[in-house]
Amino acid sequence: MKKEESLENLKNAIIRGDTDNAVELVETLINMQISFKEILNSAILKGAEEAGKLYENDEYFLPDLLMTGDAINVVTERLKTTIKENSEIVSKGTILIGTVEGDVHDIGKSLVISLLQGQNFEVIDLGSDVRPEEFLRMAKKVNPILIGLSGLMTMSISKMIETVDLLKKEKISSRIIVGGGILSSESCKMIGADDYAKDGWEGVKKINRLISVNEG
Amino acid sequence: MGKDWTASVNRIFRTIAGSKRVDKVPFLAFAGEQMICRVTGKTVKELYSSPKTYANAIITTFEFLNTDSINVPSAYAGPSEGLAFAEANNKLDAIKWFDYQPLMCKQGEICKTEEDIENLEIPDHSKNDVWRTSLKAAKMIQDKIRFPQVISLSIWSVIQELRGIEAYRDMRRNPDLLLKLCEKVYESQMDIYENWLEIVGMPPNVFIAGYAFNRHMMSFSDSMRYEGQFIKRMMEKIRVPFMLHNCGTAPYFTEVVKEIDFIAVNGSHPLDIEYWIDFRRKYPKIAIIGANIDVSREMLTGTPSDVEEKVKENILHLAPEGRYICCPVCSLPWGVSIPNILAIPRAIERYGHYPIKVDTNSSQ
Repeated sequence: MKKEESLENLKNAIIRGDTDNAVELVETLINMQISFKEILNSAILKGAEEAGKLYENDEYFLPDLLMTGDAINVVTERLKTTIKENSEIVSKGTILIGTVEGDVHDIGKSLVISLLQGQNFEVIDLGSDVRPEEFLRMAKKVNPILIGLSGLMTMSISKMIETVDLLKKEKISSRIIVGGGILSSESCKMIGADDYAKDGWEGVKKINRLISVNEG
Repeated sequence: MGKDWTASVNRIFRTIAGSKRVDKVPFLAFAGEQMICRVTGKTVKELYSSPKTYANAIITTFEFLNTDSINVPSAYAGPSEGLAFAEANNKLDAIKWFDYQPLMCKQGEICKTEEDIENLEIPDHSKNDVWRTSLKAAKMIQDKIRFPQVISLSIWSVIQELRGIEAYRDMRRNPDLLLKLCEKVYESQMDIYENWLEIVGMPPNVFIAGYAFNRHMMSFSDSMRYEGQFIKRMMEKIRVPFMLHNCGTAPYFTEVVKEIDFIAVNGSHPLDIEYWIDFRRKYPKIAIIGANIDVSREMLTGTPSDVEEKVKENILHLAPEGRYICCPVCSLPWGVSIPNILAIPRAIERYGHYPIKVDTNSSQ
């Protein structure tokens, strides 16, 4: 099988969320001495992008995106442990993410984590019901490029405000995004975050945008 | 003078039924434990300490907010159902209690594995303290102010509590396992209903928290498979009109009302009033509870005047022919000011008396 064909097949396996097939194809590409960067850019990220488009067009839904995310994570881990040229693998940065104190919902957050990990971000999941002080402690420790605060409940908004206030008071310069179906541009402004997302996929897109603006 | 709950009962239930004998647009609010704690100064555990304490605190809160609705927030197939399953399956570590907000069930903790689902015990709600207190409180409210209590049931809300994100993987990897879990949740919902019948009596309506009916979560066919078919079965057993609630960002209201006979819909989205105007045009016999008075927008960051304007817009667009209940899009959060909440009944008083006087200049 030619390189282009294998990359295309891997991309399609990622879109379908077919982990077994994706792993087989990645083995083939590893044996063909294809670089991590090429596999990532030509198959993995393209597959994630196309799955996202299908989601936006209502052809894919949360379970399908999750399957894609799972396939990406398995394949990326396989690549990281196999390819000797690990120096190529430069993380795009650390992202700190958690559900704010008083809220234990984590479905949207789990989807975001699943999709970001495969895009070569270092994602630290603080879990759910995370106190503002814990976000601050970890932010000081790992100096993330972005902090994501998740929350489903309307009551989470006040905890988001408290957390962002604390982070800013302590001069944490990371970009901050808040996520949850109940959020609006008005509440985002009130919270003091850089942006907000109403669902997991929108969160992934906005995180990438915020980070590229940061880099630019 | 005390609140005239009889007038509220007539207002709410006649509006839902489409009667023309309604004096003004009703005001319904989702005031959860957090709001009840805020108004009464009690902790959640104090509220749950006895049916009488809980019922009185609920009545005080809803009267203070001047709503036309009243309900027991914990008698709902959400966190309390997570608690009932946790207790029945010796997994109380999955439950997190708070002082001034409802308890929560850590998503996915109770049914982490396939074995957990296979061995899952159905709760006996008569043996669960929170459920017993909640149902008795509902009965006390019903007796004290003569407000018939509506039962709230759900399938997918509970699935998310029990199985968490794995439920969405199951949809593609092991749908039979997921359906098995849905069956168990259905059985548990019927146990709630049996207990409700025994303690509270026959409910006038069933309020379905239909969280599956959301485009962001699953396809419409999956929502029918994992929730819709069970609601149809509930309807065969519980012969009262059903209402549908969905607080997702992209609800399937227009799709689902073609498949299931709901008399009212309530959602936190879409926030575009045009969607609701179109819904009203297409389904004139289905009551709309809500529309777009946003708890994270004008209610949180605006002034009482902003809220009044939004209420006016909702009333003028959706209420003239009846079957409209004014309601903020989700439960009232801690940060919303009391003046902003009270702006709703004030605006209804001003603009919501029937016949609605549509001022075309100001409504455009």
